[in-house]
Amino acid sequence: MPSGALLFQSVILGLLLGGLYALLAAGLTLYFGIMRVVMIAHSAFLILAAYLAWWSHSRLGVDPLLSMIVTVPLFFGCGVLLQRLLLARLRPVTLTMMSVLLTFAIAVTIEGLLGYAFTGTQRRIQLGYGSASFGLFGARIAVVKLIAFGLAAVALLTLYLLMKKTTFGWALRATIQHRDAARLVGIETERIAGYGFGIGLATAAVGGTALALDTTIYPSLHWHWIGPLMAIIVVGGLGSVPGAAMAAMVLGLAQSLLQIPLGTTWAQTIFYLALFATLAFRPQGFFGGRLAQRF
Amino acid sequence: MTTRYRRMQWMTALGVTTTLALGACGGGGESSTSDDSIVIGISLPLTGDFSEPGKGVQRGYEAWAKITNENGGLLGRQVELKILDDQSNADRVVADYEQLIGQDQVDLVVGPFSTRLVVPAARVAEEYGMLFVEPAGAAKEVFEQGFKNLFYAAPAVANDHYNHLADYLLALPEDQRPKTAAYAAMDDPFAQGTAYGLKEKLEAAGIRTLVNEVYPPNTTDFGSIAAKIAASKADIVVGGSQYQDGVNLIVALQQLQYQPKLAAFSTAPTNPEFAAAIGNKTEGILSPTGYAQDAPYPSNQEFVQKYTAQFGSAPEEDEANAYTTGQVVAAAVTAVGCAEQGECQQKLVDWVRNNTVETVVGPLSWDETGKPKGAHMIQQWLGGEIKIVLPANAKEADLVYPKPAW
Repeated sequence: MPSGALLFQSVILGLLLGGLYALLAAGLTLYFGIMRVVMIAHSAFLILAAYLAWWSHSRLGVDPLLSMIVTVPLFFGCGVLLQRLLLARLRPVTLTMMSVLLTFAIAVTIEGLLGYAFTGTQRRIQLGYGSASFGLFGARIAVVKLIAFGLAAVALLTLYLLMKKTTFGWALRATIQHRDAARLVGIETERIAGYGFGIGLATAAVGGTALALDTTIYPSLHWHWIGPLMAIIVVGGLGSVPGAAMAAMVLGLAQSLLQIPLGTTWAQTIFYLALFATLAFRPQGFFGGRLAQRF
Repeated sequence: MTTRYRRMQWMTALGVTTTLALGACGGGGESSTSDDSIVIGISLPLTGDFSEPGKGVQRGYEAWAKITNENGGLLGRQVELKILDDQSNADRVVADYEQLIGQDQVDLVVGPFSTRLVVPAARVAEEYGMLFVEPAGAAKEVFEQGFKNLFYAAPAVANDHYNHLADYLLALPEDQRPKTAAYAAMDDPFAQGTAYGLKEKLEAAGIRTLVNEVYPPNTTDFGSIAAKIAASKADIVVGGSQYQDGVNLIVALQQLQYQPKLAAFSTAPTNPEFAAAIGNKTEGILSPTGYAQDAPYPSNQEFVQKYTAQFGSAPEEDEANAYTTGQVVAAAVTAVGCAEQGECQQKLVDWVRNNTVETVVGPLSWDETGKPKGAHMIQQWLGGEIKIVLPANAKEADLVYPKPAW
């Protein structure tokens, strides 16, 4: 039986990890909501942002957090262009399947270019405060993990306010809920969808920076992330941002706690077990997500 | 099956060709080997998967040949290397050694790089009864093939890397000895081998294992593994690591303010970028190493100095292992007094089997499977520098135990 201290420490690590998962999954579920697009390249953009953060720190000497001033608008622009120039051209009948192929190609391209530019060597940002931590009721919280969690929380809150409180957010949600009806009341759904895609990709910029703070990165790392993220958005209910966030916290916590009895290798399987259980018993997801039923 | 069939065809064809060629030569002049130099045949992966380490091994062999010739050669004859490129391909390596031994009639052969190529190459050498000293092929399988002519020219295989440290810990007075240990190893035969070699010895001596974690090679988040180790409060922590996983694990342990009495990690701490990667919090970290440029073995200074002059940078482990291979062969040739195919080879094998050779990685001797009987040197980070602390006859500083806080 593990000690109380280890359990408490694992809960804290799980929550910090879950926060990061929540941010990374939010963008992914947003694309699906807006366009019924399965965006395989999301985690590749994530790693791209992580590399840009690493590069700006090691080559330009800038704090990795400052790299977001460039990467967030850049990724937003990329997202808009990606949607308008590529995904919008796919035929609606085969959109979901073809989007998998198209974004798969984008993911492989990004991976290849990263390998070409930075080689396959594993990288880690060397921060002065990398191993700093503080105590909380006997557990230790690493500063970098807390910063990553803070970034995720701020980004998710911003996303929530944007969706709920702004005219653009209403238009985006209307587009997600019923595209034809949205068009009937005068919403330019094409333009809104493009911006929505841009916002999804902007979350990848924030998430990638958060990721780079405390882990090793290498070009093919995105394959390691896309599986768990896909599982999270299905468990959370496809298209539901709050659902994805909830599922991410629950699964992050579960993974962290399961590592105590099962070890690192087997603890990863929780994502796929959860995915399997969701598809078998509650395909619309456990936390909202009306979309899957119509899909 | 197809490949085996094709290889058989190939070998038959080669055999016929060789026979014809030999027949044609007959009593005529003995082609390239007739001049007075000793020709050493080598196949190396100069292109393909292993080209990077392969070229390192090539530089090591070339440095050895140059230095040997400057010192008057072997048995008063000059040494000449005949190097073929096997493209990192196990089929090519077989054909290469067949050609070197059968057709080119080289006097001696030495090994290629990597276990995958050493095993098929050793099989050919065995068929022809040639002495086969090799610079790379530390995996267990190499020594389970029943080879009688093979010798691995390095201090130790993975499981024996920590032997000096195990001896040191077990020799401590009862009240200072660690009581508990935590192990974390990458799911990789080499990395696991190092940690488990030490684990077996410590467990046999009654040091309890509190944590024993294995993680997949793609692991990037070590928070949970570190939490387990930190919560166990084990006296010592041992990591079977490559590079980045070792760095990540150490940072994660430091984030949890775990302060063990001893921290040993394979490979990572000897990397030149290690100190910067963990923010210079290196104090007291231990690591086994197969080769150190400042190791005080007599021939090592000459090697480092002349190698640096020849290639412009100091030698690393691959280069040193190739050089060591050359030294072992040279010692046998000098002692036995012959270097040609035929009966001489068995004499060379017997000599290597029964003697100890002084090399740039220290004195080497072998068991009946060709496995070296030594152990790796242990280095420790002290005052911002990594220094040899074990064994006693090579040390630059005293091992600090318990280690200072990191």
